This record gives sequence, C-alpha cells and structure tokens, in this order.
Amino acid sequence: MSKQLESHIPEGPVKDKWTKAKFENKLVNPANKRKFKVLVVGTGLAGASAAATLSELGYQVQSFCFQDSPRRAHSIAAQGGINAAKNYQGDGDSVHRLFYDTVKGGDFRSREANVHRLAEVSSNIVDQCVAQGVPFAREYGGLLDNRSFGGAQVSRTFYAKGQTGQQLLIGAYSALMKEVSTGSVELFTRREMLELVVIDGKARGIIVRNLITGGMETYMGDAVMLCTGGYGNVFYLSTNAMGSNVTATWRAHKKGAYFANPCYTQIHPTCIPVHGEYQSKLTLMSESLRNDGRVWVPEAKNDKRKASDIPEEERDYYLERKYPSFGNLVPRDIASRNAKYVCDEGKGVGATGLAVYLDFSDSIKRLGQKTIENRYGNLFDMYEQITGSSPYEEPMMIYPAVHYTMGGLWVDYNLMTSIPGLFCLGEANFSDHGANRLGASALMQGLSDGYFVAPYTLGNYLAQQDLAQVDATHPDAVKALSSAQERIDKLLAIKGERTVDDFHKELGLLLWDKCGMSRNEAGLKEALVKIPKIRDEFWENVNVMGSPGELNQTLEKAGRVADFLEFGELMVKDALERKESCGGHFREESQTEGGEALRDDENFAHVAAWEFNGVGEVPILHKEALIFENVALAQRSYK
Amino acid sequence: MSNAAKKINLNLKVWRQKNAEDKGYFDVYKAEGIDQDASFLEMLDVVNEGLSKQGKDPIAFDHDCREGICGMCGAVVNGHAHGPKAKTTLCQLHMRTFSNGQTLVIEPFRSRALPVQKDLIVDRSAFDRVIASGGFISVRTGSVQDANNIPVEKKSADLAFDAASCIGCAACVAACPNASAMLFVSAKVSHLALLPQGQPERSRRVLGMVEQMDTEGFGNCSNEYQCEAACPKGISVQNIARMNRDYAHARFTSED
Amino acid sequence: MLKKYLSSSIGKKQIVALTGLAMVLFLLAHLAGNLLIFKGADAYNAYAAALKEFGALLWVARLGLIAMFFIHFVFIFLLVKQNRQARGVQYSEPLHANTRSLSTKLMPVSGTILLAYIITHLMDFTFTHSNIANATVCGDYLGLYGLVVNHFSNPFGSLWYVIAMFAVGFHLTHAVQSVAQTFGWNNSKYTPFIKKTSVVVGIGIAAGFAAVPIYVFFLACGTSSCTLG
Repeated sequence: MSKQLESHIPEGPVKDKWTKAKFENKLVNPANKRKFKVLVVGTGLAGASAAATLSELGYQVQSFCFQDSPRRAHSIAAQGGINAAKNYQGDGDSVHRLFYDTVKGGDFRSREANVHRLAEVSSNIVDQCVAQGVPFAREYGGLLDNRSFGGAQVSRTFYAKGQTGQQLLIGAYSALMKEVSTGSVELFTRREMLELVVIDGKARGIIVRNLITGGMETYMGDAVMLCTGGYGNVFYLSTNAMGSNVTATWRAHKKGAYFANPCYTQIHPTCIPVHGEYQSKLTLMSESLRNDGRVWVPEAKNDKRKASDIPEEERDYYLERKYPSFGNLVPRDIASRNAKYVCDEGKGVGATGLAVYLDFSDSIKRLGQKTIENRYGNLFDMYEQITGSSPYEEPMMIYPAVHYTMGGLWVDYNLMTSIPGLFCLGEANFSDHGANRLGASALMQGLSDGYFVAPYTLGNYLAQQDLAQVDATHPDAVKALSSAQERIDKLLAIKGERTVDDFHKELGLLLWDKCGMSRNEAGLKEALVKIPKIRDEFWENVNVMGSPGELNQTLEKAGRVADFLEFGELMVKDALERKESCGGHFREESQTEGGEALRDDENFAHVAAWEFNGVGEVPILHKEALIFENVALAQRSYK
Repeated sequence: MSNAAKKINLNLKVWRQKNAEDKGYFDVYKAEGIDQDASFLEMLDVVNEGLSKQGKDPIAFDHDCREGICGMCGAVVNGHAHGPKAKTTLCQLHMRTFSNGQTLVIEPFRSRALPVQKDLIVDRSAFDRVIASGGFISVRTGSVQDANNIPVEKKSADLAFDAASCIGCAACVAACPNASAMLFVSAKVSHLALLPQGQPERSRRVLGMVEQMDTEGFGNCSNEYQCEAACPKGISVQNIARMNRDYAHARFTSED
Repeated sequence: MLKKYLSSSIGKKQIVALTGLAMVLFLLAHLAGNLLIFKGADAYNAYAAALKEFGALLWVARLGLIAMFFIHFVFIFLLVKQNRQARGVQYSEPLHANTRSLSTKLMPVSGTILLAYIITHLMDFTFTHSNIANATVCGDYLGLYGLVVNHFSNPFGSLWYVIAMFAVGFHLTHAVQSVAQTFGWNNSKYTPFIKKTSVVVGIGIAAGFAAVPIYVFFLACGTSSCTLG
C-alpha cells in the first residue's frame, strides 16, 4: 500500500512556480462550484479564512469547530504580529528576502517552493486584513506601523498591540460569518471530529461528536480540509489552549495520511516559568518583548540576591555576549536552548532556578515608561496578573515552553495530503517552517493557506474528479461511525483508578525530559519503551466518568489523550531517526564545538513522512528529498 | 510566583445542572490546600480531580486558552462576573485574590438569551448570530487595494482597536441588571464604524445587528454601566453611546 | 420605519429619553413659576392668571404634557417588562454593584413615587379650584396662593410633597446624563461635565420645589401666619 511521495512542485524558477501553478490548475466552472461540498474542520486563521473564501467562490461549505464559537480558535492567542514583505519601511525588504529569511530560519528543512509562495502572498494577506477592518497599529500619518520581530533584520511585522492573533481571527471570523449569513456556509460548533470517512481511497466525509448532546453525526462532502492546529499539548504543559489536540490529524493519519516531521517542536523562549503542581498551562509572553528587553542571568551560580541588588558587572547578558550581531533577537530555538544551558549551569533565577531575567529597565530609561507602556502595556499587565510582580519595577522572569509544532500532516505543493481529497492547512500541516518557525510567520502561513492557496488548489483537485454520489449510509461511513462509537464506549467501560489528566501529565513530563529542548539517543529509546506502557495502562486503568450521551468534558479529554499516547510514540520515533540537529530539533550527538545545532545535510536534507502501520507497530518512513536551488545550504550563524 | 505561596481552603457553592432541560441546584464542595498562585480555573481543576477520584461528576465549565483572550471561560463568583478583580477573566483570576476560609458562590452567566447547557457552561451562539447579521465588511478575498491606500487617523485606529479588543465572553450580559448585550454589540458596531473601511455598510450593519440583538431576547440598556465595570477588556460604554447615535441616524436616514 | 424604530430597544429608550427631557424642561418652567410664591400672593396669583389667559393653548400644553408623561411611562413599562424576562433564572447571590450609584439603583422606586405623586398633585392643585373654603388664609381669600398655603400648612401635605421632590431630584441625577448617553453624546471631553450637570439639575429641581412647602410650613404657617396675607 506504500505510495510514492509526489510533491507536485511546478517546474521552473522558484519565483514563477506559483504563477505557473495557478495558470495550469484546472478550474471548476463557476456554475458547477455550487455542486461541490467542502467540509472544513477547524475555524482558526486557516480554517475560517478557507471556509469564507471557498464560500465566496461558490462552493457549499460546512465548517466545524469544537469551541462554542468559531472566534475562539487558538489562533486568537497569538500576540506579536504577522509578517509581510511590503517594504513599507523602505529598509530593503522584498519577497526574496522574506523567502530567504524563512528558509534559513527553518534551518533548511522546508520546501523552497512553498516558502516562496508564502512570501509572495504575504502582502495580499495584509491588504485583505486591512480591508476587513483589522485595526493594525498605525503611525500618526495614518499609515501602517511595522516592527522588527524575532530574528528579522528588517521591520516587516504588522501588529495590533499584543493581540494580533485575536484581531486577525476576528477578521477571518467576520468573513466567515458574512458567508454564514448568506447561507452558503453552514456552521457546526461544539463538534469534535473523531473519524475521517475514506471512500474509494478518497476523503469523503467526517464523523463528529456533538459535544452538547453526545450524539455522533456523519457529514459527507467532496473534499475535507483539516485546519486543526498543532499537537503541542502532547507535552501536557504548553502555551496551547487546553482543547488543542492532535485527534483530527491523527485520525486522518490512521486512515492513510502521512505524518511529516513530528519531532519538530518549537520551544518558545519567552514564557512565564512553571510554578506549581496544579499548573494547567503555560503562558507565552510575546517575543516582541525581546526587542526592548535584555536577557540576563547572574554571573555567579545560585545567586539568590534580588535582581536590583545585582550590579551591572555581575550580570551575564549571555545572548548579547554570544551573538553580538543579533543579540537578544536570535531565533527562538537558539534563545530557548541558551536559557536551558544557563539554567543547567545553575545560574537560573526564581524559586525553581528554571528562569532567566528579561529586563526592561534600560529601555524604560532610554524611551520612557510611556513608550514601553504603549508597546507592551497589555503584556506587562498580563504578566503582573499571573505572577503578582510588575515588569516596570522588577525584571520579568521567563523560561522556554512548548509553543508551536512545525511538523504535521504531509501535504504536497497543493496542500493535499497523501489521501486524495484530504487537504491540510495551517499549523496542522508540515510545509512552510522547516525545523524552526520564525516569529510572526504562523499567522502569515495560516492565512496564506486559507485565503490564497487552498481555494485555488481545491478547484484543481475537484475539476479532475468524477466523484460518486455518497451519503451517510455508505458502508464506509457507517463503519467509521461505529468505530468512533466503539472507542467511546471502550473508554467509558474501563472505569479504572487514574484520572485522564494523570496520564496526560505522565506522558507530557516524559516527552519534555526526553524529547524536549535537547534530545539524545538513550533518552529517546527510553521514551520509546515507556510510552507504550503508559498507553497500555491508560486503556486498562483510566477513569472516565459519566455517559456518552451528554456533555462530558472528561470523555472529550480522554479521547484526545488516547491519541496523544499514540502520537507521542511517533514523535519520539522521528526524533530518534533524525540523527542530526536542526532548528527546534537538537540532538546532543550532533553539535558544533560552540554547542550550536549541527545539521547533516548529506543524510537528512529530507522530509520524514511516516505512514501508519498499526498501533504499536513500526511505522513506514517515506523520504521527500529537499532541494535547495535558491538559498545555499549553510550553517546558520547569528553570531 | 511570590516566594512563599500560601495554601488556602475554600468553601464552594456551585451551580449544578445536568443539561438545558434540568432545573439545576446548588451543591457544596470543599476546595482544600489551594495554592494562592493557582488560577481560579486551576482551583476548579483541583476540585474536579478530587470529584473524579470520588466517582462524582466533575463540574463542567468552559475554558480554552487560559490566558484571557479566547473568551471561553466565565462564571459569576459571589455576584461578580469573572470574579471580583477588575479587567480580569476567570482564567486570569488568581487565588491570591481570595482569603482562607472564604465561601465562593459560583453561578453560570444568567441570561435567557444564553441558556445554560450544563453546570457553568452557557450557549453563546446568540453572539454569533448577531455578528452574522452585519458584523463584517463585505470584501471578497483578493479583491482589495493596497493596505496603505487606506490611511486611518491614529486616534480612530486606536479607538477601533479598543472596541475590537472585545473577547465576546458575555460578562457584560451577565453583569447587566437587565441582561442586556449592548456593550458587546456596540463594541462590534463601533469597531467597524470607526474605520473608513466600515463606512459603506455602516447603516446596514447597525440596523441588522441591533435587530438581531433584540430578537435574541437580551434586555434593554438602562445606562447603569455595570457592563463596563465587569468587562475583562475594559470596553467603554462610549461604544454604546456611539451605537445609539448610529442606530437612530441609520433608522431615519437609510432606506433599510 | 417608525414602527421598527419604536419596536427596537434603542428606539424605545430614545423615546423615553426624549419625553423625559421634555418633562425636565417643563419642570424648570414650572419651578420658575412656583418660586414666585416668595414674592407674595399678588405676584403668584397674577402668574396663575396669566397662564389661564392662554386658554385653549394651555390645554394643548397640558395634553402634550400628559402625552409625554404617558408615553414615558408606557415605554418604561415595556422596557422593564422585557428586562425582567431577559434574565431568566435569577442569580442566587445578588449581582455586585458598587459602581452603581444610588440614584441609578432607585430609578424604579423614584419613578413609582413620582407616578403616585403626580396623580395626587393634579387632584390637589390642577383639578381643585380655589374657593372660599380652601383658599382663605386668616380670613382673606387668596386664590391659588391661598390654596397652596393651606395645603402646605398641613404637615402631611408638605411632607408628601418634599418626599416626592426628592424622588424627582434623585430620578433626574441619573436621568439627565442618561439622556445624553441614550442619544449618543458620550465623549471623554464633555461627559464629565454632563454628569455634573445631571447632579446639579437633580439637586436644583429637588431643592427649588421643596423650598416652597418648607417655606410655607415653617415660616408662613408658623406663629404669625396671618402676617402673610
């Protein structure tokens, strides 16, 4: 059953590929679009923008989300901004530079063609958002303001205070609701996708659970788009929303969609440190803070003095020291790893010793409190609310936390997975960020996929199909429904001793230790032994209360954790297989003398796409070679 | 993260309701050994973990991002929507706000337009329907001009942002003595009314959204400003004034 | 258009605000007239007589006023009815409301007092004509002036009036700024001024009206009430 990986990247120079693809794509006659129904799962930036745009084009769309409203998807929590190669600041930005920065930032593990397309449409995204009424920050002249962000040496980031994600999502959501009002998008909230229906090898429907009534529902269509976000919550503690999960993509994986690069996890450097057993999630502080904040630790180990009592000469501004040209603005993976190093050396601060300072006193002196307040006011308030300490008076304490996952379902250039008719957009796919995502690029990718890519490529797929009429009574749909139902019944029948969270915490802690910021062969192998054991115990000893036919949050959580317990194993397997260090994936065996990530381009310049082969069975690895014709492979250096 | 986090014990009186049809009742629980650095929802997690271990149905409550932006969480605590701290969502309310031995009465947001679905979970789809009645700018993907062709006065852009920072949590409805949704609707109307992009549909939007708001069965505003006091994002009642003005203007000048 | 406006929540509120505002203006005029009592019986009765000169026009004004009042009341009734239904299940713990001013909280109470008052007021003064029996003070027939003095010499008459005037004042401290909000005049620059105005108008009207019975009761009807005449 093994398929050849065909990426469908158009021929020709990288800058012409997308134009060429758009021209060569088959089109669906406007009158015929009405006849096709597309199921869009997830209503974050990718899902909402795709559903809205497809509906505008004339397709029938059904849109699903597990939250009570499409506007709550986790894209909403993005703080910092969105990149676009507008060059409004006249500082030498261009599509090529954004393309180059993104390929390099991804540590040469992304597809050039995809990244170039992303850079090309970045400008259209900002135009689109402004037209929708997204209130981006502006200058007194009335034009858009930009800032430099996360490792970029030009100011290309558009932002709306610390709420860029919410503002962009409200834009996409309002576009979606505009289509809901015309009746061409049907909205299904509080529905969680539990199975994919594949008929004749093509994605034709989904099984969802109605989270209010507990009823199982089947929806059939001509194509399915998964826009269901990342899998960061496999670590239990992450900056993701509590409900973020891998279930939709994992179910699709089990039905034949390849999962690519699951080991690529981004650990964000500026989060509020962990402070207790009860902790349910970690809170990110936008990395825009690094523009004006200086990262430091005390020179001496175990220095318990208050920050203000430590004189300047006894502070180690380690990022500025080690990376003079980028300083505090080095990419996320580097900033995170260095925080871990200094804490491992015993220089960490705070009660746990697992934190570093992010200090604004210099900037407040230089720019005045008013300016700092304008830039970061809400972030500072949020920090104070959580920690009870004011960043205007004391330096913030930060520590890295799992934030974003670059891996995801493997997709071709058209964002179609290895199951025909199943598309995957946004964070849920693997395509554009390689092994490390640059700041302010996630929002860009979600909206690029949803507004500007998938609506074109879907037409190309549909125009070439001759799909049979199917409905919920099709044997494959019935089978998918009963398998989802059986799984729920099984979970409820266990009636064991341990809670779902208990298992989730155990899995998360194991992964954070063995497959977190730095990984080695022994640790990964150990995790590969332990995960199946936790999984086995889960299926024997988990306690899921209540009944299936009601609103049952424990049951929802149990289903998600069950999938994480399978997915976690694949993630570790992938990390073990990739014996090089690249971006967010740091293998201790593969580093330079200076302790930097050392890639092995000869053996690992490929996408690792895994094919499911049964729970607990060894998955099949397919490799898609990555070819770099426009950006020369080079060791990243931010010195 | 204060150095010595104190542990406190609390008595909880929590609204339990099996589903939308159930009548509902208050049940009493003890929350013991709660770390004051924990958030309110983490306190509920601890209580729920205990309930699960005793074989009891955990308290159902909505939550997702737990960083005060998704607008999913919310309950009325001792008569305060989102608890006693100003400009704070329930997930960002930390237990240092409370003292040892305190009794907390926890109820769902109450409004006929937002019916309870289970325990503290309410159905806010009325808000989505209000948005679908005009809370958008009708531009098709791709058919737009360059972003900088639309200059926006900074003051207006800032006011629009302030209005747009509404997270749709419905605390305004919960805190209003009349269960009115005027703050939510007016924030949405104002966000777009303040921007040049929003002008072509300005009249149509306010008329449609107000009509839908009324249809949903929310109460009427009596200018008591409880909504503003309860709003976790500090949305101003100036938005309500703006909507009142816009509504009358639109009603008497447009042909809709 | 008007039907849609009147059936909308905002439309109804604006009608309440508009009729309320009209009544405030009436009250200010009424107060100016009342204060003539301090100038003595002749001035006061002359004012009353001058009003009567308007004849039919006075009745138009009166009917207008009654209409204002009636509309104000009916729309409030409709709004309150909806508000009562809007909550559904009541909270067990009263909603915390320390940011609500007392006048705001007591709007229904002050409104109800006013309703009761207006009925008695019309019966006492508007529809009761002065005659020898009710308007003679110390043997002198003083017309409307006498009627007023006699009425307020009665402690119950005065007390009820004073209470009602406090209710009016209270009602207005919330109402005047509320009118501005309802018509959409809320702006960081002038709203603080409007709010102060609201309080000043409320207190001014309450104090102005209440001054009459207090003056009559304590001074005019005291030991030497006949000096008044």
